[in-house]
Amino acid sequence: MEFLEPLTIFLTNIVGLITNPVSMLILFGSVVMGIIFGATPGLTATLGVALLTTLTYGMDVSTAMVALMGIYVGGVYGGSYTAVLVNIPGTAASAATALDGYPLALKGQAGRALGLTTTSSAIGTVIGMVFVVLLSPIISSLALEFTSFEFFLLALFGIVISGTLTSQDLVYKGWIAGLIGLWMSTIGRDSLQFYPRFTFGMTELDGGLDLVPVLIGAFGIPQIIQSIRDKIQIKDTQKVDKVLPEFGTVLKHTPTIIRSSLIGVGIGAVPGIGEDIAGWVSYGTAKKSSKHPEEFGNGSVEAVISTETANNACIGGAMIPLLNLGIPGSPPAAMLLGAFLLHGIQPGPMLSIDRPTFVLEITAILLLASIAMWVCGMFLTKQVIKVLKFPTSIFMPVIAVLCVIGSYALGMRVFNLYLMLPIGIIAYLLTEMKYPIAPLIIGVILGNMCDQNLRRALMVSKGSFLPVFTRPVSLVLVLVILILIAGQIPFFQKLQKKMGDSFKSIFKKKNKTADAA
Amino acid sequence: MEDKKLRQYDFVTALVLILFSIWELLATMQMPMKESYGGVQNSWYVSPALLPLIVGLGILVLGTVLLINSIVTGGAKSFIESIKNSSKMVITEETKRIFTVLLALFSFIFILIPNIDFYLSINMFLLFITVAFYPDVEEYRKKITGQYFIASIVLAVIVFSPLGGIIKGVLKYNLDILVLLYIIYFNINSRILAKKYEIPAKSFRALTLVSIIVPLILCPLFRYFLLVPLPVEGGIIKLMNLLYYTIR
Repeated sequence: MEFLEPLTIFLTNIVGLITNPVSMLILFGSVVMGIIFGATPGLTATLGVALLTTLTYGMDVSTAMVALMGIYVGGVYGGSYTAVLVNIPGTAASAATALDGYPLALKGQAGRALGLTTTSSAIGTVIGMVFVVLLSPIISSLALEFTSFEFFLLALFGIVISGTLTSQDLVYKGWIAGLIGLWMSTIGRDSLQFYPRFTFGMTELDGGLDLVPVLIGAFGIPQIIQSIRDKIQIKDTQKVDKVLPEFGTVLKHTPTIIRSSLIGVGIGAVPGIGEDIAGWVSYGTAKKSSKHPEEFGNGSVEAVISTETANNACIGGAMIPLLNLGIPGSPPAAMLLGAFLLHGIQPGPMLSIDRPTFVLEITAILLLASIAMWVCGMFLTKQVIKVLKFPTSIFMPVIAVLCVIGSYALGMRVFNLYLMLPIGIIAYLLTEMKYPIAPLIIGVILGNMCDQNLRRALMVSKGSFLPVFTRPVSLVLVLVILILIAGQIPFFQKLQKKMGDSFKSIFKKKNKTADAA
Repeated sequence: MEDKKLRQYDFVTALVLILFSIWELLATMQMPMKESYGGVQNSWYVSPALLPLIVGLGILVLGTVLLINSIVTGGAKSFIESIKNSSKMVITEETKRIFTVLLALFSFIFILIPNIDFYLSINMFLLFITVAFYPDVEEYRKKITGQYFIASIVLAVIVFSPLGGIIKGVLKYNLDILVLLYIIYFNINSRILAKKYEIPAKSFRALTLVSIIVPLILCPLFRYFLLVPLPVEGGIIKLMNLLYYTIR
């Protein structure tokens, strides 16, 4: 009956949250706030989590987690509003939804499209949550066997893969961003010998860069500048009559839901890669396997279901490495990591020992957040649309004030503001030149893990790299990192193509002989 | 951004990255590699220079790759051409808007917040940025930005020169009073100026209200509910304290 214990804890948590009116109020409030953040072009779930982190400062851990998970879930889902109603995705995660959601709205089915996005998002979140429960014990027990070499390589893998997959232009721009992030993480006194690195004699830099101002600067300032620069303003939206749950339609597409959820969880679990990539990959896969691929782009219901399920399933996926390895799976999860640390929770393999019920608490909150999101999606659509029409020229400056006060309040240091603005401007310039920001943030977060574990591992092996090749996990990670890097070198690309062609020709020959036989 | 321009920027970024990595590597070389530091006898693998060394070399290599790519794809050539034609360069509307946003943020963070009452700082920032962008009239924004730019410079001179100390010495909240007077002047002046551009005066009421109400919510929220001491608690915050603690 040992398996019943987690279930009991999970249910106790749910009952505890439901019977606490303050928690429920905070949950619904943060979900609505998340929907508004997600739906407003220029604002994202990451920024929402970042700004709310400041307000959770005085709350107890449990209430803070309710607020943060609520805004995360709401933020990822909220992007679909503007994607469907105005053809402007509120967040990058809902960009794929706009391709078919907007044509549906043009056909006079905006309510139906929003019903589909709401129900699919809720289902995606719940499936993601199931994976958190199932996989966390396995990953965390595996991680307990890891040595410093594995942790170093895992951090390096996170930076390399995040750089490779998030880059819109040249792949190595993602790696450069990751390296800049790593460099930023080395600022301050090093944790082993307390030697001041790149502090320029400033005592304020001795403790290193605070994570929250860096994140707010990197994600908030570029968005504020871009929104005001581009005069983004929602004036007219498609008419919404009634939002219905569309359970029948969603159930008809069960295989699509399962496939999209798996894609979402899988992509979410890869460090630094967010909901936007999950949405696009799921869209592409759904189109390939659909019986009616010609409908994609013209208001396909299957397309809307696939993208929205995947991007919300990504939340659960992103929580798996965050909780069990201390590596954030997506940009909002990176911000959540900052919030966890602020509340004295150190995610990683030791979490299952330090706070054995924490993962179950988070999953219980995820389940309730998805229900709250569904309820808000069904009943508050018209009110959210009204908020969206609020002028950007007033809304964005208020967000800027929140960014400033948020960066200041956590460390109570004006110096954090002096860091936030230049980091924000650099992030804006990098974004304009098509450098992804996610690897930079992953670099800042994982830098310390990289530094400490590399030096600790080499200290134990007395400067030898041999243990990397004798331990299977290390070896696999090294090979994957090398393949990822080599895959960008023209010589290896040609070699890869040649090998692929020769495999194809062998396969074709075999098929021909089989046909002849 | 078009590909040609992107490759142009790549060329500049590559140069910046290479220079940065050289500086970073030179700074890393100053870190203890073999000698003893903090009672620890260093070996190369325990040295605090290890990760910065890897990072510096990585940026150097990738910066060089980026430089080569930008030269091969014509980025370097088009950059040199653009330098030659720099006299013909036109400052776009977008760039001007960015300048206004940055001016507002810089003056808010570097001049107002560390020196002026927090309530007044937020009030001034919100008033300027909303008045500049809400009417969406380019000429009007240009004039407002110009005036605010001059005011920021004057305030910076007062704050960062010995003059600031003298003014503060005369009366405790002198700088706050000065900013408050400027806020009132800015409010009146922006409305007078708006009449010239036929911008309805009605919209300014909302902007003034936003600039008053937002800090009125945020300051007490952080000061009394989250117990965060505000960066500068000048005249207005002290007045709020007086009211709050009297009522309490």
